[in-house]
Amino acid sequence: MNGFWKQTVLVLTALILAVGSAHAGKLEAIKSRGKLVAGVKDSQPPFGYVDEQTRQIVGFEIDLCAALAKKLGVDLELKPVTSATRIPMLEQGAIDLIAATMTHKIEREEKIDFSITYFPATQKLLVKKDSGITSVADLAGKKVGSAKGSTSEQNIKKAQPACEVVSFETYPEAFLALKQGKVVAVTTDAPILLGIRNSDDNPDAWAIVGEDIAAEPYGIGLPENDSDFRDFVNISLMELWKSGEYQKIYDKWFGPSTKFPIPLTWTMEIWP
Amino acid sequence: MQYTFNWAIIFSGEYGRWFLDGLATTLEMSGISIVLALVLGTFLTVLRLSRITPLVWFAVSYIEFFRNTPLMVQIFFWYFGSDPILPGFFKAWLYRQNIEFATAIIALSTYTAAFIAEELRSGILSIPKTQLEASRATGLSFLQAMAYVILPQAFRIIIPPLISQFLNLIKNSSLAMTIGVMELTYMARQVEAHTFHGFEAFTVSTLIYLSLSLLVSFLITQYNRRFLRIGSAR
Repeated sequence: MNGFWKQTVLVLTALILAVGSAHAGKLEAIKSRGKLVAGVKDSQPPFGYVDEQTRQIVGFEIDLCAALAKKLGVDLELKPVTSATRIPMLEQGAIDLIAATMTHKIEREEKIDFSITYFPATQKLLVKKDSGITSVADLAGKKVGSAKGSTSEQNIKKAQPACEVVSFETYPEAFLALKQGKVVAVTTDAPILLGIRNSDDNPDAWAIVGEDIAAEPYGIGLPENDSDFRDFVNISLMELWKSGEYQKIYDKWFGPSTKFPIPLTWTMEIWP
Repeated sequence: MQYTFNWAIIFSGEYGRWFLDGLATTLEMSGISIVLALVLGTFLTVLRLSRITPLVWFAVSYIEFFRNTPLMVQIFFWYFGSDPILPGFFKAWLYRQNIEFATAIIALSTYTAAFIAEELRSGILSIPKTQLEASRATGLSFLQAMAYVILPQAFRIIIPPLISQFLNLIKNSSLAMTIGVMELTYMARQVEAHTFHGFEAFTVSTLIYLSLSLLVSFLITQYNRRFLRIGSAR
């Protein structure tokens, strides 16, 4: 019995300490832990994906996280997340931040905070080249693939109520369904579509079409109500932009010589 | 932890309807699958006990194959894996239908049939062999003896394990969301994605599954009790 009570007290103390430390700032927690735990995509080239040779998760967002970790002077640990798991994982403290092609939506502000935009995306359609589908209007009565819990899924239902949305766990699965003819289009942010298209054996068989269904500005997801940590991330992003390091990382993943060329045509929000 | 519980949001707006739509899909999918699994499972048992070597071998390999591979893998196989072996013209027609729903039913019923076949076989083996011999002696064929003498008794014996197979099937049907079937768990995740109230959404879906399972097992037990009493009075 004695041993039982001892254990109970120990567990309770540990719990109280854990809850207590959750209230302390994330910045201190990360520094004392010596590592930044980032929630990233692991099947979304070129944002975050497993490199075939090294079996490591690499990508644009991973390099951004690495730059943040370097500024903090800590190691970087990557945890794969999906569109559906990332916000709960951040809320539960399993990850310190989300860099996983996440659109900054007002609706999401209820649960978490966001950094400034680090990538401005728009939602488009990926279709078979000669499918005859050129806009959202052509999707009436057809099946469209998307990923669960994503903004694209919600936007397309609004933009084309007459289409049937089939939602998969990840975009590569949605693309497989497109290849097999189970859906006529996959809809999500254009750079993700480009990533899916260009990682296919025959990219020319697929086309990215349609009007901008929605603006999808990507922000880094941060714990709710932690102003110090948010300031650090925002200011670091701006510093990366001003020092030219952001452009270097961008060029590495989206430059003209890469598999996913997207010209850098926007400017990050810079506070004076 | 700064989580504010909001139960009203689950039933406000369209979210309550989503749960009902999801429940309807779960019921429809499970109902059809249970009937198909029973038919297929009975058929497999008859093959298994037929004493005709190739048929027995077929039934044994089917049962072992489906019982010993994960249902999730089977669902993905039916949905993504079967594509290259389907003929083109048939595929074009098939994929315009509700292929996700149909695939889920195929996967659930073929999987559950293997378990039902095993339950049923043990039920049949528990009926003394002399009954089969006596029925054969009165001039019934093997199939007639099975249909009129052995199976009615066996089904009664295996009702408790059969209930748990039905309940398993209802619970397993939640895996259909991985291929985009909008059943109860899918809808719970939709509500979670829209409201960010995961605790409430999954509590509601848990309670729906729980009451559904309890209701099914209650109804079958009641029916069974009645059925047995009428049976023994005769």
